[in-house]
Amino acid sequence: MKIKGNGLNRRNFIKTAGITGGVLALAGSAGAGLASGKNKDSFTGWGRTAYGKDQFFNRKPFITDNPTYEKVGESRRITYIEDLFKRNGELSRLLFARGNEAPSWTFDDGAEKLPEPLRTYYLEHPESLGEFRKAIQKSQEQEENWQKYKNKYLLADAWSSAHASAIQGQGAFPPQPKGLPEESDFRGVKKEALKLKSPGHGSSLIKQITYSFGASLIGIARVKEDWVYQGYLRGVGKGEYEVPGHWKYAVVIAVPHEWDSMYANPTYGTSYDAYSKLRFIAGKLEVFLREIGYAARSHVPPTSYEIAMPPLAIDAGLGEQGRHGVLITPELGANTRLAAVTTNMPLEPDKPIDIGIREFCSKCKICAEECPSGAISFTDEPENVIRGYKRWNIDADKCFTIWNSVATSHARGCRVCLAVCPYSRKNNWIHNIVREVDPRDPTGVFSSAMLAMQKKFFNYPGGQAYLPPPDGENSTYGEAPSWLMTEEWFNY
Amino acid sequence: MYPNALILGPLFWIIMGVIYTVTVTGFYYWTKDKGIRLNWWKWLLSVLWFTGTNVVIAGAFTLFGENETRAGLYFIGLFGVLFLILGVGLWRILSPR
Repeated sequence: MKIKGNGLNRRNFIKTAGITGGVLALAGSAGAGLASGKNKDSFTGWGRTAYGKDQFFNRKPFITDNPTYEKVGESRRITYIEDLFKRNGELSRLLFARGNEAPSWTFDDGAEKLPEPLRTYYLEHPESLGEFRKAIQKSQEQEENWQKYKNKYLLADAWSSAHASAIQGQGAFPPQPKGLPEESDFRGVKKEALKLKSPGHGSSLIKQITYSFGASLIGIARVKEDWVYQGYLRGVGKGEYEVPGHWKYAVVIAVPHEWDSMYANPTYGTSYDAYSKLRFIAGKLEVFLREIGYAARSHVPPTSYEIAMPPLAIDAGLGEQGRHGVLITPELGANTRLAAVTTNMPLEPDKPIDIGIREFCSKCKICAEECPSGAISFTDEPENVIRGYKRWNIDADKCFTIWNSVATSHARGCRVCLAVCPYSRKNNWIHNIVREVDPRDPTGVFSSAMLAMQKKFFNYPGGQAYLPPPDGENSTYGEAPSWLMTEEWFNY
Repeated sequence: MYPNALILGPLFWIIMGVIYTVTVTGFYYWTKDKGIRLNWWKWLLSVLWFTGTNVVIAGAFTLFGENETRAGLYFIGLFGVLFLILGVGLWRILSPR
């Protein structure tokens, strides 16, 4: 065939179309890539949650009989006073008396005059008391500085408050336990439980149900005594307690923060979006379990826990603990928030996994470099033995001081370590290649190459930059989403 | 956006399939007319190079889409130059002597 006038024959037409096609194919790849990067469905936990499709990583090849925490000595349960929030809460009640009462303790009185168990704790950890004093000073500065920032962060603060409103006060869900666990956890349990076909059926059912409540990841673990807090029980108060016999299994639930705001930490993010989701999921599961005849108790954020979550989640096969102390899961990275429901329903526990997080964290250190408080260890290998387990220690007191320093309306967290963690990435093709190849490479060469690219290619402001002026620039790790930027919607 | 859309998504990938077919066909005639003889491994190298170039472009634009502009530029800077060099090498292998 010859087309008159321009000398184009069929062969030349195909050749020209081929060149044009090559250019169009590259343009198409660019378009597909751009769409994949922008795609909100690839923000795990905010798309196909109800059908279990968030838990997309095949854990089977990485199952291990040995959990990735390292027991090196005699272990013991964590006492409630070792928990920052419990400790600070008790101290605050002494420092800031209600009504017209005078404070029953001031910093000038020193640790000696504190009631037990605070006295013993702070005599053993005097630096912790000093850090809390600094946190209170920073809190007062934060209150004054908020006037400067309240308009800029109006939407972020309002969004955070809206999420927090669902979990505070008397109307919070799930309701706090009342009385001994042997009464409280059985309250409302149906007397005639049907015979379960097998523990495996129990696990499958509970997972399906919990996904439908909105859980992104679910794992089941036997409750291990080492992870259960000692010295305080919700619904009862202070005292020495055995682990209740009906806390046989824990259904561990994970959800992420909303991703765009999470990347824009510390000032645009909040913990309460994930916290409120977790409370509704765990609370509903608690009701569901009781309705089908089993005892249940929710352990939910921010502080309504009787069990330390990260090691429990490791036992449940959800992930491994990172340098920053936060659980890292293959799907959500460090953007993983946890809750659990303990029950006596016969269940088949999951097995822990080893995807090489510890080896990666020993090389990475991005979270330690970016932490505004310097609370994260820089040592290559974990060097602290905490209650019999070797791990990287987090200086929770220093971390809390920064909560009180960043430009938010009150101490509502920082979460920079979650945002900068290289594992906290979308569920799209480019990150899934890394997700799948990295744990299968026994040499560690792939992860070293990826880490080198991560550090060189991506922009990290540096720890100090997250602080307000004059110490920093109120930087965020990622750009804030427009729906949280006041200037996009209001004149001020 | 279109590659993820319910209706336009499948259409997009069908069109992409047609485009790739036309590209390969055009390449076949182009090499014939240039007197380039392609055996199986030269075909394989050519397809791998073109696929790799597409992946580099898609990778960089994925990072742009994630608002990681700097990472995208570094990505295309590193791997784009690498594939350019590989392309020159491939051309030297393919071109008749």
